[in-house]
Amino acid sequence: MNPDLIIVSEYCLKTQIEPSFVLLLEEVGLIEINVIAGEKYFRSEQLPDLERFSRLYYDLSVNMEGIDVINHLLNKMEVMRQEIIDLKHQLRLYLPE
Amino acid sequence: MAFIDYYGVLGVNKNASPDDIKKAYRKLARKYHPDVNPKDAQAHKKFQEINEANEVLSDPEKRKKYDEYGENWKHADQFEQARQQQQSYGGNFGGFRTDFQGFSDDNGEYSDFFENLFGFGGGGKSAGKTSGFRGQDYNTELHLGLREAMQTHKQTLNVNGKNIRITIPAGVTNEQTIKIKGQGGPGINGGPAGDLYITFVIADDPDFRRLGDDLYITVPLSLYTAVLGGEQTINTLSGQVKVKIKPETQNGTKVRLKGKGFPVYKKEGEFGDLIVTFDIKIPTKLTEKQKKLFEELSKS
Repeated sequence: MNPDLIIVSEYCLKTQIEPSFVLLLEEVGLIEINVIAGEKYFRSEQLPDLERFSRLYYDLSVNMEGIDVINHLLNKMEVMRQEIIDLKHQLRLYLPE
Repeated sequence: MAFIDYYGVLGVNKNASPDDIKKAYRKLARKYHPDVNPKDAQAHKKFQEINEANEVLSDPEKRKKYDEYGENWKHADQFEQARQQQQSYGGNFGGFRTDFQGFSDDNGEYSDFFENLFGFGGGGKSAGKTSGFRGQDYNTELHLGLREAMQTHKQTLNVNGKNIRITIPAGVTNEQTIKIKGQGGPGINGGPAGDLYITFVIADDPDFRRLGDDLYITVPLSLYTAVLGGEQTINTLSGQVKVKIKPETQNGTKVRLKGKGFPVYKKEGEFGDLIVTFDIKIPTKLTEKQKKLFEELSKS
């Protein structure tokens, strides 16, 4: 058993979320599910994202389309945040010591 | 400690129905939830406030007590005593603290006002409340010198009284944030703990400037070495190196020393470059002989 893979059904049982929610996330392209010997798995590196999507869905009642939009915007924000940091660093080269 | 207007926090009036409160809370929670405001300490604080307001106003007992004593929380004990004297039954709201010195907000979950009115840690959390929320994410800054940041090392941080030992990989950048899962505030209503975000603040170095993995240094060069060529010793972060100077080197000339820059984050053995800018120094306090020689040079 690959320790990097998490069985969808076991995860859903432990976290008490419906497997259909995870499958819906896959359908929208928010997470990736692999099927090995008839069992559905996702990679452990996707766990933080899955937890975040699940909080948005269950705690904040955001629907799947909303989660997709939020995810795009958050990724965009992160790229912009990084760009601002890089530009600030470049600017420092031209500032008087 | 100030009175907190929970109705104002949720933007509802005092006669708001439980449904209005729920709606207002959900709307604000969507706006300020840590998941939609990553690395935003102000939004996290606001989220904590609206959670607290909701905790009180969505619970009929807490709301009644808040409405009755809220603004007069300092006199709650006297009110309570008078009430007990007047009424034979003891089924009051309880939970008031007579000793205001012992409370603490070290878990960062509730305001002092809340803890004084409802007891430490929100004692008497009601059942059947809204669903559990993930705990607050904590944000902290870790200040490092440039030379510290070039070596993988361990540091112990004290976060709200808890010691957390972390390994800082060589090559972390200024304003880079790392996440330590589950080390944030405790979950609300049985939700999971939040995460701890550590942002590195790397101080400037008097000699080196850093851009990505490359380092920049300005080195003074004598006029004679610049004109005639020679060797120049240059300080790098890993020691001194000798660099050959070509004859007729111009002021502001840049030389790139491969692999003498900053370590690449999480790539052991990989380094950026050191970019050296030469600042040619014009000799001062010339002797008469030197002046004459320069004059001869200028005529040649």
